[in-house]
Amino acid sequence: MKRILASTMMVSLLLLTMLPASALAAKPIHVGIVDCYSGPASTYTNDVLDGFKLVVDEVNAKGGVLGRQITYTTRDSKFKVGLGLSAAKELIMKENVDILMGTINSGLALAISDLCKNEKIPFFATFAKSAKITGEMGHRYVFSMNENTAMIGKAAAHGLALKPFTTYWIAGDDYEYGHALADGVWNNLQQLKPGVELLGQSWWKVGEPDFTPYITSILAAKPDCVIIATGGRDCVPFLKAAKATGFNEKVPFYMHTATELSTLKPLGLNAPEKVIGTSNYHFHYPATGANKAFVAAFQKAYNRLPKVGALYGYTTAKLIINGYEKAGAVNTEKFIDSIEGMAIDSPVGNLTMRAFDHQMMFPMFMGTTAKVEGYDFLMPVDLVTIPGSDVIPSVEEITKARKQ
Amino acid sequence: MGCAANLNLAAFCQQILVGLSKTTILFIVSSGLSLVLGVLRIPNLAHGSLYMIGAFLTYSLALLFGGGGLGFWLALLLSPLCVALAGLLMERGLFRHLYEREHLMLLLFTFSFTLVFGDLVKLVWGSEYRSLPLPSFFQGSIETFGLPFPKYNLFLLAVGPLVAAGLWYLTNRTAIGKIARAAAVDREMVGAIGINVSLVFCAVFVIGCFLAGFGGALVAPTQNITQGMDHGIIMETFLIVIIGGLGNIWGALLGALIFGLTDAIGILLLPQYAIVFPYLAVIIVLTFRPNGLLKSTW
Repeated sequence: MKRILASTMMVSLLLLTMLPASALAAKPIHVGIVDCYSGPASTYTNDVLDGFKLVVDEVNAKGGVLGRQITYTTRDSKFKVGLGLSAAKELIMKENVDILMGTINSGLALAISDLCKNEKIPFFATFAKSAKITGEMGHRYVFSMNENTAMIGKAAAHGLALKPFTTYWIAGDDYEYGHALADGVWNNLQQLKPGVELLGQSWWKVGEPDFTPYITSILAAKPDCVIIATGGRDCVPFLKAAKATGFNEKVPFYMHTATELSTLKPLGLNAPEKVIGTSNYHFHYPATGANKAFVAAFQKAYNRLPKVGALYGYTTAKLIINGYEKAGAVNTEKFIDSIEGMAIDSPVGNLTMRAFDHQMMFPMFMGTTAKVEGYDFLMPVDLVTIPGSDVIPSVEEITKARKQ
Repeated sequence: MGCAANLNLAAFCQQILVGLSKTTILFIVSSGLSLVLGVLRIPNLAHGSLYMIGAFLTYSLALLFGGGGLGFWLALLLSPLCVALAGLLMERGLFRHLYEREHLMLLLFTFSFTLVFGDLVKLVWGSEYRSLPLPSFFQGSIETFGLPFPKYNLFLLAVGPLVAAGLWYLTNRTAIGKIARAAAVDREMVGAIGINVSLVFCAVFVIGCFLAGFGGALVAPTQNITQGMDHGIIMETFLIVIIGGLGNIWGALLGALIFGLTDAIGILLLPQYAIVFPYLAVIIVLTFRPNGLLKSTW
């Protein structure tokens, strides 16, 4: 009997030593990611995920945060609010995630934000650009990890006010993003340069396949400059039509993300030149050591150049890691307290998460498209940096928006 | 604000020209849909998917043949043929067993094809969008009415009437066209005089698929080639076929003209509300002629 007992104990001990280390280690920090991974939006969202993975893999290899690994689970929203919201609920209820992040869809970001407010789970909005996320609908548990429509509007207005244009035409996507962006640019431009005049506006449906009739109609009005408030997948066909009609040669136009790699790469050398655009990130600018190191690491891991989404994924991962380290415990309230006002290093320099509204203060880069030797796609040139502190809405503006 | 600031006669004429080039694509795709609808009585929802596949194939084939002018012409010819071949397999393998089924069943059946084709495109080409550059001889624009008009749109303006003339010849001057028209009216009688109706139906379905693929091939250099491009076109072409008269090819031409021109002129006159113009035209037509402008074959 003694021998049986002894051998059982021996076997148990042996089995215990054979157990993987992770089974005995502390519970991992689990991040749930809901985003649109099917259709044209995936051009942007895959980079967010890859940028995030790059940082997380590196930290996990070094032993993780507070002795815990960071794990993540993704769900495809297919750009549908209902589907994405159910996925977010499932990640909270069944997967017990500590943090939620993601979504390029502003409507879905606002819905998940509301859910996270009730569930008291931090939510990092990585690509949705509605200013409402941290503006009038902001709360303790939501953070915006990219520039919003108010910031784009301010940046564009700053740049356009310096140019000699007085008559404008506005054209864009007939939905939240398009109108919010156009309002943002126009309201700020009117304040900075009171003489500007709006000749007219055109609005098209999201996914409009043919922009030629819109362009010929705008050209007939002869404005000095045109503000194009179109986003995502519509940028590419718009720029194609602009090139085919010679729009860019006849009238200067501004379009947010027109100078971004996601937009310019698919067009190759057939993109129109002299288009004015803004973006948070370019792989060649700023030409700092930090950016070069990031591009090299990204290229090594994924064999392609990082687009703007990679920066959002990278900064989100960094903020999560530094936040838990500073908090010293996996505790949501302590974590939020620690990331409020936190500054992190990034490929575009030092970035601060503003404590008041949880808006990351990204700088904006404004430039124009041009052919540059050595590249088989157009590049932004004459880039100017507009600091994050210049474009972020003021605390008074946010307070006013939240009271309304 | 925004109303008619850009209105003058030259701009109006220019906009009609632009609208006509858009009409070309709408007509080519909707004539294929109308043909299948009229002769085979199949409301083929997968017609838009075939258009999308035509565009993706054009992209891949043009690059395969070097991406230059020759590649473009070869792709423009071969991709609709590949789509037609897919149509042949669909018809012989499945559709020919289903002609007697209810329309609702056929509608659901073809809808399931849109899902299958959507996933197929995702499997083969991935979820990122593609962009095919215009060959060098089509790049740039010429001046018409003092405004730029893309050279490629001129090409589209030439293709539209050619396709219309070809279809007229096919349906009115060839034996297969005449038999198809007769079979659309009375299938049993055509069969009774010894004609293989099944083969005629197959040929019509393949031609319909070819037209969908050809439409996709023609838009490939001007648009984003992406998943989801089937949704927009199928809705527009169904509306065109409905206002033209179900199954009537000339109705499809008339419907495409109304749709394309109201869209272009709406953009010029009231650019802020341009989206509603083609749909407003559909409502007006159906209010006064609920069965469409021309004789419906249904």
